[in-house]
Amino acid sequence: MADLKALKYTIESCNHCGQCKWLLPARMSGWDFASVCPINAYFHFDAYSGQGMLNIAGEVMQSTISHSDDLAKMLQTCTACGACDINCKNVRDMEVLDTIYELRRSSVEAGFLPESRRKTAENVQKEHNIYGLPHKDRFSFLPEDFEDDPDADTVLFAGCSVYRHPETLLAAIRILKAGGVKFRILREDEWCCGASMWRMGDYKAADALVRRNNELFASLGIKTVITACAECFGAFLSGYPRFVQPEFKTLHITQVAAELVKQGKLTFREDGEPMIATYHDPCMLGRLSEEYVPWEGEIRSYGLHVPDKQWRRGENGVYEQPRELLRAIPGVTIKEMPRSYEEAWCCGANASDVDPEFSAFTAEERRREAASVGADTIVSCCPFCREALDADDEYRLDYKDLTELIADRLSEEGQK
Amino acid sequence: MSFSEQVYQELAAVVGERNISREEYVLAGNRAKTPEIPFAHPSPEAIVLPGSTEEVAEIVRICNRCGIKYVAVVTGCIPSAYATGEDTIIIHLKRMNRIVEINDKDRYALIEPGVRHVQLYPEVRKRGLSYAAAAVGPGGSPLVTYSCTGGDNHVQYGTSRPSRYLLGVELVTPEGEILRTGSLQTDSGWFCPESPGPSLRGVVRGYSGNSGKVGIVTKCAIALDMCKGPAEIRREGITPHHKMIMDSDCSRVYVFNYENIQDVCDAIIALGENEIGATVQKYFYLPLTLMMTNSANEFWEKWDTYKEVMSMPLVVHLAAHSVREREYEEKILFDIINETHGTRIPREYEQWWEDHMDYFMIVSRLQSVLRLGGSWLPIKTGAESVQHMCDVGESIGEFIHDFTNTGKIFNAPENYQIIPMEYGHFASIELLFMWDRFDPDGFKNMAEFCAASRESDLKKHYHASPIMGYGKRAEKQGVLYSNCHIWAQLIYEAYNPYIGQ
Repeated sequence: MADLKALKYTIESCNHCGQCKWLLPARMSGWDFASVCPINAYFHFDAYSGQGMLNIAGEVMQSTISHSDDLAKMLQTCTACGACDINCKNVRDMEVLDTIYELRRSSVEAGFLPESRRKTAENVQKEHNIYGLPHKDRFSFLPEDFEDDPDADTVLFAGCSVYRHPETLLAAIRILKAGGVKFRILREDEWCCGASMWRMGDYKAADALVRRNNELFASLGIKTVITACAECFGAFLSGYPRFVQPEFKTLHITQVAAELVKQGKLTFREDGEPMIATYHDPCMLGRLSEEYVPWEGEIRSYGLHVPDKQWRRGENGVYEQPRELLRAIPGVTIKEMPRSYEEAWCCGANASDVDPEFSAFTAEERRREAASVGADTIVSCCPFCREALDADDEYRLDYKDLTELIADRLSEEGQK
Repeated sequence: MSFSEQVYQELAAVVGERNISREEYVLAGNRAKTPEIPFAHPSPEAIVLPGSTEEVAEIVRICNRCGIKYVAVVTGCIPSAYATGEDTIIIHLKRMNRIVEINDKDRYALIEPGVRHVQLYPEVRKRGLSYAAAAVGPGGSPLVTYSCTGGDNHVQYGTSRPSRYLLGVELVTPEGEILRTGSLQTDSGWFCPESPGPSLRGVVRGYSGNSGKVGIVTKCAIALDMCKGPAEIRREGITPHHKMIMDSDCSRVYVFNYENIQDVCDAIIALGENEIGATVQKYFYLPLTLMMTNSANEFWEKWDTYKEVMSMPLVVHLAAHSVREREYEEKILFDIINETHGTRIPREYEQWWEDHMDYFMIVSRLQSVLRLGGSWLPIKTGAESVQHMCDVGESIGEFIHDFTNTGKIFNAPENYQIIPMEYGHFASIELLFMWDRFDPDGFKNMAEFCAASRESDLKKHYHASPIMGYGKRAEKQGVLYSNCHIWAQLIYEAYNPYIGQ
């Protein structure tokens, strides 16, 4: 059951300082691109922000506000990008995003969920993927002569996005093979990672999926899970420990590839096309990928947490490896956007089913930011960011998935 | 008339359906109790988001006609940014967020209410200019700082208090008319704050801003100063463990510790006489420790050591155009520190300040003071000569121990800061204290402590606290300030025909 009371300290701590809405000063760059909260930038009302969600949670906790369809839509429109959370934690000891998650959970348990999210939940239930496409087709694109190592203790986890972007998984396969990494693919045993269920607040469905996957990995002796999907990556690290005690290690393909480059096992072509790239940090690979460490204890006078609590402030996200890889690829020049690393502006994809107009605003804002630094290509490594940011518009920006870029630019030697 | 469907529709016609709401969950974002106050704010009936001065004026006229009260808001981080009773709407000025002009020749910026420090400061700095940003976080509104609140801040040593840097303003009067003061009327340029005649700035903002002014400020021009340092703001690393990249040859931070406030006072006056330093502040050790740590637990781990090492710290930021200038300032600085018996603290503590130069730009991270639960209050906050402020600071010891020793407030008896302005022509003081949020008597203790502080000022005839508007408290304090509360009341009545409605 949702337990907002467990977050009472956070809910009652907010002094409305506004740090959840605006860039941390160290990264300020000008009038433009100063907001960090997409829903606040679009809807403007304070309720549409980390601060507002805490206030709403407080009123739900005290039953002065009841859940409703409108409130559910508002809660699910938030992309849960976590910028508010890490900005707040920069100066406070508060769990803003966890409160948003719990508020969503409470809304779902009260029976309120936008239709599109209900459909997603049904899809996962029936076909084990968020799109509701036939489960048997999940890996139908794999070439007949594809061989993995069925005894490997490392799995390459595709994620549901493999239905729409199989080329990313094929690129990941080429990278791992080029680097001599032994791995296996789960084929019909692979189900959705559960990120969507967890993040929309359907904890019952998420719990079932997480337990099923965790047990599967254990039964197969899987010690390492590699994924090219930022959402799956973030779910394994920051979602799974909320339900189980995972005994596997999670790596993003960019972490693996960067290590292989360092070891000299991956090399790149010298004749790659010039590209002025700007790297977009996916929320679930960057600030939200820090491992979740459950904490139970007492908050005493003047904020003392007993026992000591490990705070997730977005400091340890995967920021450098994607950039190291871009720097290593001949012909690629990197331009940083004002809002990057832990302060990256969300792509908006997470709201595309609930409020397409808001989602489009958020994505366009990111493309505008990318164009403002003189980039010709946005590079990222999340299939959902790709769907939001890969657009044909006035900014004339290409989009390139980093996993595919790495595979495309491997030297012949590197592809052996 | 009370707030009705008709009023709602009239307001919606002004701002558009998208920019007005009365949904309970939307109102929740502007009525929540915050930890420093003992009550929840009354709920507004609706929140409207005007996009222009004309829309604000139209909203005010509708409110007057229909008997609806209104509160204009930008950030909501002060208790007066909320509804105070029934039939009240919030006019949220967030959408009015243009920097209308930055004039680098005459050094002023013309801004709307929704512009934030995190937006204005870098734009100003790109042009080699700067301004004193209030310690309200990056989302604070410079317009509110300069035209509506007390606004004293930590980096005003080389400039002045924001109210003295306010040039012209545009405001919507309580009657819904648009008034422009200063050179905005005369086309003489914003570098001239006003036309000849009595100062309308004082009338508009009052002594203490939101407690003493009338009308809704919709634009203001603020004066800017030259900035020493790189125009581009750069950093390395992930916050909070970031490092700002400055020209270390021309930018240095030193922190000295003192045994007594009179020596600090002498140092501040001497530094000012010699115009040494870009920022000089006798800081408060509790926020300092909170800013330098990253959780309440880390604070508790380090508090005993830090409060000893930095019991009465003087923070000096030197910013120079050249190495020679920096070396000159350093030499004078060290002479003054030596003569006034200051001791430089270990470099490991100073390094934090060097790495976090964003503090000296827009007073970043000061919200860390809320990390101990958020029950806090800054009191005194007045301004007078440096010596007077130091005398006030010294007097705090006469009444604070009854509260700190009994656990009624946090045990940090020396936790006051003195920030000189205009190179020491005068200074502001702030006594910041906290109480235990979980203590059922916390708010009672807070009120008693505030009263003890006020009594001390009255008894000693200290100009330690600004007069907060009108009413009984202002009357009591007004005698210390040439009965200026009488004038404030007269102005208020003259400008607001709706008093008592």
